[in-house]
Amino acid sequence: MNRFKYYKPRSLDEVWELKEKIPGSLFIAGGTDVIVGIKNNELRPQALISLRSIPELDDIEVDGGARIGALATISDIIQNPELRKDYPVLVEAAKSFGSVQIRNVATIGGNLCNCSPCADMALPLLVMEAKVRLQTTKKSREIPLNEFFKGPGESCLSPHEILTDILLDPLHKNAKTSFMKKGRVKMDLAVASVAVLLEMESKTCHKARIAAGSVAPVPLRLSKIETMFEGATLTKKDVTEAQRLAEDNVVPITDVRSTEEYRRQITGVLVKRALERALEWKET
Amino acid sequence: MEGDVRMEIAFILNSSEVTVTVDGHRRLIDVLREQLGQTGTKEGCGEGECGSCTVIIDGRAVNSCLYPALEVEGKSVTTIEGLLGPKNELSIIQQAFVEQGAIQCGFCTPGMIMSAKALLDSNPNPSEEDIRDALLGNFCRCTGYVQIVEAVKEAAAQLKGKQ
Amino acid sequence: MTDFQYIGKKASRPDGPDKAAGKAHYIHDLQRPGMLYGKIKFSDHPHAWIKHIDTSKAERLAGVRAVITANNTPEIRIGFLRDNFALKKDKVRQYRDEIAAVAAIDPETAEEAVELIQVEYESLPGVFCPHEAMKEGSPLIHETDSQARPRTDNLVPLKFHHESGDLESGKRAAKFIAEGEFSTPMVQQCCMGTAGCIAEFDMNSNLTVWAKTQIPFLAQRDFNRALSDMGLPDKNTRIIVPTLGGAFGSGLDTHAYEYIAILLAYQTSSPVKIVYTRAEEFANLSPRQSSTTKIIQGCDQNGKLTFRHVEVLQDNGAYTSWGATYPSVMMIPATSLYRVSNVYFNARSVYTNNTYCQAMRGYGNPEHTWALESNMDELAKEAGIDPFEFRIMNRNEPDETTPMGLKVSTCGLKECLETVARKLDWKKKKNTKGKRSGKGMASLIHVGGGARIYRSDASGLTLKLDDFGNVNVFHGGVEMGQGLHSVLILAVAEALGVKPEKVLINPTDTGTCPWDVGTHASRGAFMACNTAILAANKLRSQIFELAEEVFPKEVEKNLKKFMKKNPGYKPPDFDVLKSAKRERFELCDGFIFIKDGPQESWLRMELGKLLRAIHFRSQGQMLTTEVFYDPPNELPDFERGFGNISATYAYGTQGAEVEVDTETGEVKILRMVAAHDVGKVLNSQGLKGQIYGALAQGVGYALYEKLQSQQGKILNPNFRDYKIPTVQEMNFPIDLEFIETNDSYGPFGAKGVAEPGLVPTAPAIANAIYDAVGVRIRDLPITPEKILAALKKSRTSKD
Repeated sequence: MNRFKYYKPRSLDEVWELKEKIPGSLFIAGGTDVIVGIKNNELRPQALISLRSIPELDDIEVDGGARIGALATISDIIQNPELRKDYPVLVEAAKSFGSVQIRNVATIGGNLCNCSPCADMALPLLVMEAKVRLQTTKKSREIPLNEFFKGPGESCLSPHEILTDILLDPLHKNAKTSFMKKGRVKMDLAVASVAVLLEMESKTCHKARIAAGSVAPVPLRLSKIETMFEGATLTKKDVTEAQRLAEDNVVPITDVRSTEEYRRQITGVLVKRALERALEWKET
Repeated sequence: MEGDVRMEIAFILNSSEVTVTVDGHRRLIDVLREQLGQTGTKEGCGEGECGSCTVIIDGRAVNSCLYPALEVEGKSVTTIEGLLGPKNELSIIQQAFVEQGAIQCGFCTPGMIMSAKALLDSNPNPSEEDIRDALLGNFCRCTGYVQIVEAVKEAAAQLKGKQ
Repeated sequence: MTDFQYIGKKASRPDGPDKAAGKAHYIHDLQRPGMLYGKIKFSDHPHAWIKHIDTSKAERLAGVRAVITANNTPEIRIGFLRDNFALKKDKVRQYRDEIAAVAAIDPETAEEAVELIQVEYESLPGVFCPHEAMKEGSPLIHETDSQARPRTDNLVPLKFHHESGDLESGKRAAKFIAEGEFSTPMVQQCCMGTAGCIAEFDMNSNLTVWAKTQIPFLAQRDFNRALSDMGLPDKNTRIIVPTLGGAFGSGLDTHAYEYIAILLAYQTSSPVKIVYTRAEEFANLSPRQSSTTKIIQGCDQNGKLTFRHVEVLQDNGAYTSWGATYPSVMMIPATSLYRVSNVYFNARSVYTNNTYCQAMRGYGNPEHTWALESNMDELAKEAGIDPFEFRIMNRNEPDETTPMGLKVSTCGLKECLETVARKLDWKKKKNTKGKRSGKGMASLIHVGGGARIYRSDASGLTLKLDDFGNVNVFHGGVEMGQGLHSVLILAVAEALGVKPEKVLINPTDTGTCPWDVGTHASRGAFMACNTAILAANKLRSQIFELAEEVFPKEVEKNLKKFMKKNPGYKPPDFDVLKSAKRERFELCDGFIFIKDGPQESWLRMELGKLLRAIHFRSQGQMLTTEVFYDPPNELPDFERGFGNISATYAYGTQGAEVEVDTETGEVKILRMVAAHDVGKVLNSQGLKGQIYGALAQGVGYALYEKLQSQQGKILNPNFRDYKIPTVQEMNFPIDLEFIETNDSYGPFGAKGVAEPGLVPTAPAIANAIYDAVGVRIRDLPITPEKILAALKKSRTSKD
């Protein structure tokens, strides 16, 4: 039974002060991961430092590019008209996230910092080559999201560092995107998930970004496919090849949710279907 | 700075102001059930999966089993107890659940009704897909959901008719 | 065909408003003054000697009022084979063994105290597979039996066997044979309201337990025995059943946590509440029994079944509960679903260090029908016969006696099969070109008129009339959400002749209600309503006898008043005194009148008025009647597999149309169709809810649910990884039709239908999957992983 203390600082400076004072403390955003972790005795913090009362952390600004505050909830993202227009793949992933109750409190920053290989929000951000802003009292740095994840449950955050913003450049006007997720049932952690982004000039692909989740220690960019697609005129054969490459380049495990073999196969299928959907081809 | 083991918080519960002293590690569901005597909200899993604990905070459905109690400071919370009318009559949504056979053991019912209410408050004209999406996080083991969906449709129709 | 006033119509449940308002009080909500909270320390090993239990730190924690173990409490043996213990002493045999327990002033302190209890174990080799457990030299789970006699193996000493006809000649007569090995997993009841109880002693050492139970009177017997073990042999237990958050079979046994609550309550002299969290429930509450079934069936040239051979093996887990008796119900479809004269059935259960299992809805029938109905399709394929035609030609008919000796009265199987075939457009087969959808069906037989699995299958009911014309009902059946009280109100209202609003059901309480064996085997409504009819008829006789004296006086007064108000009125020529004879009275909507008399408003008497008239006079009386009804069924000899276990049998057929994604292996249910022989619809809304809910559980069983266990440990003790159908998984039309066969044993013709809704669901879906993509999955759940693997295998074998 963990009778932890709970703090609600009103500024980032207060946050860092508290963290300094209480090394055994953890940050909490929406709480949908942290509270469950505490209940299961996986986390035993002395105190929780809530980021929910810090004003600028939940802003969403879309002006060409986008700056999404880490404390923006999944529901905030779904309901934001500019994000829906300019970054639809992010909203697609958000809609597949949990249930209404979860989306109303879970945050995009929390989802990323939890560093689950299944993180739904990571995949669209990876293919859109998002950056994240990490801050301490002393400094602020921006790094590409694909450098953020180090392993399951492990990020590159130093103990006092907070992920404050997710930064997106404007997408190419011919960017075609898609997100797909497969769970055991509708509301589920992904057994496998995929996001794609293709910058197309008629049938030629100038840039491809493909990411897969739940099939590696971290959400994974499938760079072999990306390289293969760059500059190519995409045909059905290429998509089939992408499917095969996806199967060969992921490292899923067998666990309580699914098997290694199935995850491998499914990733290939999801890549194929996500590409077909992005390209608006009829399902084969 | 605020925080520590125990704090006094004030918030609106079912349109009335309440003040309560809360330990930092407690969840909203603990405060509602144990300190404020509102036992209508149920704990079915404690992990934010089953939705039995659903309440509405500032218009949004949330799982009170995952909601730190101290975060409710200054917010407006509605629980199942807050749905009764001025003469303690059942609200339209509650009545629809009763009449459509959407209740069997009833344990999931308060949470289910709160999710339905949150939906209908923001979307008075929901499609069936909207209804199913809104209720995805509310488990029922008894009814198979058929009559629950019918009840929400019926409630929507009646609420529209009232306007 | 009688037209009923209340029976068969839509009727909202009486507890609906309270539940909708959040005002129903479940065990989780109940408080008793001075109540303490109990928490249990469970084993950290699946199989180990307990060397030492150190409770000292827990005892010293502020707020802790008692810490108990087997060392400081009397031994209490539990379970019908008496092989289990409330608290484990020398040995743990499964992960969830209860080693110690704490009572404290609040749940958090209790939880902290449990964390402070330290146990020293000496690990023993565990056995987690029944085949391993049966091998010679396997570690023994139980060294002795309940009589302290040494055991030599891990076989559970229960025999379930049936042989009928001549199996060899049946085999010889078979032109086509299909054989298969099928398995079903452990699944959890997943009641939304978890298990729990409150135990409280009074100063006379009599015990009250607010229990989540479906067997209040058998629980009373169990707890009285425990009181005896505790040195209180003459003391009594009173069981009160509050509003329950579902049960689905989990309340058919008494559980260690209940005895622990009783021990803690006695030790502390305070009420003690124990409630399981969801995680505790998944890991520590007995789930549905798993099974493996080997089945071989054969048919002749024309498709007539000639034999059926069934072998069942069950993993009993560490102790014995009702899971071990599932074969008693498996025998029913095995011997009696479809006509087959040469049947062999044998079942064994084996102890292991896995979690032990208890009753869950269907109680062996879903397990066996899964194998039988899947295999029927396999046999139909061998014989080149359409699966629907195959079932029709082998169907059961009314007024038959089956190989097990089941005396089938009404049987709507033909209508059920035909209805499903028609609604599914069965004849319209899918387009074979590139389409992956398919149709399948499966049927069921289940007990519909009680089930004698104990010395008594009886139920009592008391009707107590009060001065206001209210009918106070006392019945020991348990309302767990299924709507028992709703139908009981309708039955009393209908049979007695009062409005449903005047029928008041009292809480289920062993102190006030007559004995009832338990709400199981779909017997709830069957028993409650049959006893209600009997009691109501008795009361009507008494009322009409008394009315002979009281009615004429009353109507005379009425007429005087009426004529005062209506001066010109001329009463009809009718001799009230002469007509006021018991055989001519009728009671309807709470008014007594003369059956064929004039319909004048003054020529009737309100029931309440009659009751007051007979009460408030010299030598007055009140009317209460009690009946005790034991249905005309038999306790079968399960070693011979013979006996008419139920008074009547329910049948049904379900059909599924599915679409299989051959790239992902996912199954999408496009629609389901269900036709159930219910005898008579008592409460249409309630019955629909029962079938929809059961069908949803059947879908979960078929596609999603499995308690995963490794080396005895449950790997998915949470909803994150144990998936039950949500409103999205149930997003397909269900076309439900009730076939009314009007059974003479059933109340108003009704049969019990609480369980049938989930019995044929899984094989119907599996048969549809086979129709769609030609793969036969034989272990549940049918996951996309299994389908993809099977598709891959069939492609490679084709190459």
